[in-house]
Amino acid sequence: MKLLLVEDSERLQRSLSTGLKKNGFAVDQAFDGEQALSYIAINQYDAIILDLMLPKIDGLTVLSKLRSEGKDCHVLILSANDQTEDRVRGLDLGADDYLVKPFAFDELVSRLRALNRRRSGVKNPVIEIDGIKVDSVARQVLFDDKQISLTPHEYQLLEFLARRRGRVFSHDQLIDQLYDAGSYVTRNAVEAHVSALRKRLNSAGAPKLVQTRRGFGYLIE
Amino acid sequence: MYSIRNKLNYTIMASMILVLSLTALFLYSRVAGHVEHVFDGALFDKAHALISLTELDEEGLEFDFAEEGVMLEFEEGDNLQYYQLWEHGEELLIKSPSLGEQDLPKIGTELGQHQFADLPLVDGRAGRLIEINFMPRVEDEDEEDEEDEEDEEGEEGWELEIPPPKPITMVYARERESLDDTLFVIGLTIFGVIVVVLLLSGFLIWKMVGSGLSPLSNLAKQVSQIDESRLDARLRHAGAQSIEIAPIENQVNHLLERLQSAFEREKRFSANVAHELRTPLSELRTLTEVAQIVPDDREQVDQFFIDVRDISAQMEKIVVTLLELARSEAGLLSSDPEDIELSKYCDEVWHQAVNGQTTCKRLFKDIPQDLVINTDREKLGMILTNLFVNAISYSPQDAEIQIASAIRNDTVVLEVKNASMDLKPEDILHMKDRFWRKQKARGTLGHSGLGLTLVDALAKIMKLDVSLQLDNQQIFMVRISGLNSSLQR
Repeated sequence: MKLLLVEDSERLQRSLSTGLKKNGFAVDQAFDGEQALSYIAINQYDAIILDLMLPKIDGLTVLSKLRSEGKDCHVLILSANDQTEDRVRGLDLGADDYLVKPFAFDELVSRLRALNRRRSGVKNPVIEIDGIKVDSVARQVLFDDKQISLTPHEYQLLEFLARRRGRVFSHDQLIDQLYDAGSYVTRNAVEAHVSALRKRLNSAGAPKLVQTRRGFGYLIE
Repeated sequence: MYSIRNKLNYTIMASMILVLSLTALFLYSRVAGHVEHVFDGALFDKAHALISLTELDEEGLEFDFAEEGVMLEFEEGDNLQYYQLWEHGEELLIKSPSLGEQDLPKIGTELGQHQFADLPLVDGRAGRLIEINFMPRVEDEDEEDEEDEEDEEGEEGWELEIPPPKPITMVYARERESLDDTLFVIGLTIFGVIVVVLLLSGFLIWKMVGSGLSPLSNLAKQVSQIDESRLDARLRHAGAQSIEIAPIENQVNHLLERLQSAFEREKRFSANVAHELRTPLSELRTLTEVAQIVPDDREQVDQFFIDVRDISAQMEKIVVTLLELARSEAGLLSSDPEDIELSKYCDEVWHQAVNGQTTCKRLFKDIPQDLVINTDREKLGMILTNLFVNAISYSPQDAEIQIASAIRNDTVVLEVKNASMDLKPEDILHMKDRFWRKQKARGTLGHSGLGLTLVDALAKIMKLDVSLQLDNQQIFMVRISGLNSSLQR
């Protein structure tokens, strides 16, 4: 799941991005509204974590601009403003969720996962395909009730494709989803992750889940 | 609690009852007195008529009125009248046939005088009498001669002398029921008119007082509907404003404005405090929670500790500033003046302000070395520290920060100037407000927007005036005036 974290506090940026990355999210960081809009213009995000009081362009203006431009990524407002009118204003402008500071980091992660489920249209946090269970809460993959050990990137790849069954994703799209904008990643890295994932599933006796469409990319049918 | 309307109604009605009752009593007594006077006048006239028909001649007293058939009212009928005459007040001379065996009472009146009195008549009716004590009229000589001639023609050789007259007491009485009836009708009429007037007045007073007090009722109704959730409401009136209500309405509206403003200020203040503390709290919480996720990442964890230290320092600064503000507003701070070498002290404060900051900005002083001021050292230090830190943070890179002093009206004026980056003239009005920042975002500067508020509060305690200015060249200046200078060395 690819996120844009828009927050003017350097310290919060640092700790949040570390924690989110550790939880398997690909995180881009923006420190003001202007920077956020330029990131949004060139990247596809599953969700944007948006502070309201931002330098240069405030959070609500960023939100209304991205909605007016037809961007449908989920927006979670993260603000110290706890008044009802602030929440109503944010949600009315097109935010999907509102979290008041200070907040529990686990709650933020859970809300982001919920937004991700909503985006893929799958409400059940556990996706089951051909006997393989992908538990997005426990971040576990099970086959015949036995856990298959995956790296964070392998898990992300599997969950991303499982949530979007039947859709083909190119190498670049998968890089976007698995890595933040600052990372330098080649197509080989994606191929390596796919290959490793297939091996781990195969060694556990699971069917071959990830298919290749030559010249297009990968999918789970 | 009482009703003004009821009190006014009752008071006015009571006053009207009192006034009208006294008027009625006065009127009745005047009219009744007059009617009685007229009645008594008639009694007097009638009595005098009887007296004029009483004559003394040689044969004695003659009572012409007593002749049968002359005055029937003394003899028969439904409306009988009475008289009785005594000589010397003792010897009965004559009484009206209407009295029968009864007598009229005597009061005892001096000669030539008369008196009136009430009495029950012999037939049982209420009556009124007049008693007159008089000397009977003596037949005069002409009349006597004529009578003599007649006598001589009829009787010869007799010549009688008229006896000396003696005082006669006459009592004449008649019923007074007609008088009482008249007085009753007069009294009833006056009482009835008074009752009707009172009823009508009561109704009109009730309506008029109600109408007169309706602006007050309307005011009370509007005021009763105002609570803490409706402080934006204002008192309004339909139609012309009364000069009695207008000041109340205006004052209440002004009070509401001040109250609303104070409520909003408090609300804003609470929201600002919450906001200012929430963000660092959020940072602390996230840092600790994420640190638990990456316990083995030494570099990250070390950085987290540094962040925790910085956040704690920032929160401490906010809390200390808020406490200072609260103490200054509560009047718990006082000024403790002492002599300070201003130029030297500015250098000290500047070094403290830039301590630990990576700035290439310099302070340019224009303060005489020998200028000594007398003020609170600690508070001046806090003021200058805030001004220097603000000047460093909000001026362009490599900007000069100037501090200059001048003597005006025997006091020292201190000016701190720096070029500003994005200030606008309208910002000057809000810069002393709590938590005001040009950029609403907290950023990384660590400013909470309380610095100038604290400067202003401290200056007030030190009896100094702080004014802010922004000129056309975007030079922002803080002027502190009213500093006392000590003798220059």
